[in-house]
Amino acid sequence: MFSKADNSFSFAIAAALVLFFLGGILTTIVPPMVDKSWGRPFENHDPAKGPTGKLQPYTAQQLKGRAIYVREGCWYCHTQQTRTLVADTFRSGWRGVRSPISTPDEFVYDNPHLFGTKRTGPDLSRVGGKYDTQWHRTHFRNPRDLVPGSVMPPFPWIVNNPEEFSSLVAYIQTLGRAKDWRPDGDYEK
Amino acid sequence: MSSISSEAYKAGVSNESIQGTVHHTDTTAKWFLVSAVCYFFIVGIVALTIAAKFCWPELLGNVSYLSYGRLRPLHVNGMLFGWLLAADIGLAFYIVPRLCGVKLWSEKIGVATAMIWNIVVLGAVVALPLGYNHGFEYAELPMPLAILVVIAWVMFGLNIFMTIATRKYPQMYVSIWYIMGTILWTAFVYITGNFAVDFTAGVNQANLNWMYMHNAVGLIFTPIGLGVAYYFIPKSSNTPLYSHRLSMVGFWALAFVYVWTGAHHMLHGPISQWLQTIAITFSVMLLIPVWAVVYNFFATMQGQWQQLRENVPLKFLMSGVVFYLLTCFQGPMHSLRSVNAIVSKTDWIPGHAHMALLGAFSFFAVAGIYYVVPRMWNTKLHSDALANWSFWFIMIGGLGFFVTLWLGGFWQGWQWNNPSIPFIDTVVALKPIWLVRFLSGSLIFCGIVAFAYNIMATVVARREYVQ
Repeated sequence: MFSKADNSFSFAIAAALVLFFLGGILTTIVPPMVDKSWGRPFENHDPAKGPTGKLQPYTAQQLKGRAIYVREGCWYCHTQQTRTLVADTFRSGWRGVRSPISTPDEFVYDNPHLFGTKRTGPDLSRVGGKYDTQWHRTHFRNPRDLVPGSVMPPFPWIVNNPEEFSSLVAYIQTLGRAKDWRPDGDYEK
Repeated sequence: MSSISSEAYKAGVSNESIQGTVHHTDTTAKWFLVSAVCYFFIVGIVALTIAAKFCWPELLGNVSYLSYGRLRPLHVNGMLFGWLLAADIGLAFYIVPRLCGVKLWSEKIGVATAMIWNIVVLGAVVALPLGYNHGFEYAELPMPLAILVVIAWVMFGLNIFMTIATRKYPQMYVSIWYIMGTILWTAFVYITGNFAVDFTAGVNQANLNWMYMHNAVGLIFTPIGLGVAYYFIPKSSNTPLYSHRLSMVGFWALAFVYVWTGAHHMLHGPISQWLQTIAITFSVMLLIPVWAVVYNFFATMQGQWQQLRENVPLKFLMSGVVFYLLTCFQGPMHSLRSVNAIVSKTDWIPGHAHMALLGAFSFFAVAGIYYVVPRMWNTKLHSDALANWSFWFIMIGGLGFFVTLWLGGFWQGWQWNNPSIPFIDTVVALKPIWLVRFLSGSLIFCGIVAFAYNIMATVVARREYVQ
């Protein structure tokens, strides 16, 4: 049948587009209609069903911090997803408590999404509340002062700009907090 | 099969004499190829810099414009759009008129396309270090530049389609389908990845982003790269293509299978399990178009392998085919959940991605440029020995790069899967790997310099062609 495309310009174009749109529509437009959790913000008040909590929209300051995270390309080296792998729940965990896995309903306000494809530094999907502001200040100034062996670049121009620094930290502290997963809420400020 | 393939042979390989009356000026192709070669060299410096930052993280550390997070998108976009796509477009402008037996429809529009393309690349060189990052992998270019890409693409498509519509030979050779497919699919893939994403958020957006990202490789660089290879493998070895029918299997299987696989970038991640399974299924099916293409190329070379000893373009082409086979074997394999749990997000992935875009498709483009530049300027290559050196530098550097990152990535993945190893220990463990990567990158860069110098010397100080 496709030998027709050998000589017919319009048949080749039509066939190439039909095949493309078949897969394209079924894998991009249909899935969010089938799986509603992609667009419904996380909310759970029943501890029997897992971690409780409610996803809040970002504040203006947090959005500003998020824009800095995008601008500096933090997402090239830090993923934001605790995958359904046992090791991921340990690594995103803290002080002996394993973290819940990431679910689509935790990310409905994320634009651009920052799931990431490469993990040069640790995953940040549950980093919110693990370190206080002073820790972040020292760490952004020179990561190796706190984590010997780190290859993260220093970010003096952010630390030296109080507004940018506090916005970025405000954003980082939201990460993974929709699910209130810490025992006794022992989050740092 | 043999009768069809001999027709394809006529259409694709031995029509140079028939079309002796058509005089190709190739102005557009020249503009694209010379710009591409320059960007290959310039962006190569950026590439080396970010590789060095893994070894010496303080390097240029106080200059915000030159930090890793801002140079990486410049490296990626510069290589993808400044070098590889520009080179492939330039080669398409060379190939299509010859396969159609007519002049390019409009050299004026073609040159204007090349100008817009250069504005895009130079705009990226300014915008990305300043931090104007759209926030999507492979789609980092800020909105105004992305719009210029679309305009240039429409002009490119119009020019090529009008040339094909006025062709003298009714039968379209494989390369023509691949170039047409690239133009059509890219239009939609690019708009999805750069514009449609802005109207979505969260997992829905990520799914669109990865549909784009995967198909930027699968439906842009793969088809145009294969179109180039389908033209230059028979051309530079002066051998007919083995099978026309097999090339059709490869093309239509690619058209059907590739677009389904985007979600394999989020295996084990926060995206519906059934969508992950669909992506895995189609990722494994990718073996069909790949093996059809590779078998065809190898069978074409049957009895001709001795030509690889002297023929530099053919060396690049056939090593590119081997890298294509390997990278497209890796792809389906690490879409499997068990393998993915080890290699995903590790340094294996840049090893894999570089084998596709540098090892396979850049090799095809380099071969094409070595082949066409002396012919377009009616001269001889500046130095055949230097061309051979450029091959071995890029080849050995590339192998060092790919192999160390695979080993390092696997090692890293196993370490990550043992939560009793602190994360920072898995970073420190990779430092020797990153040093070898930097050194291999330096070898690749030497090869790029040799290649770029050779091409520029051919163009600038060209020797009269002695028939």
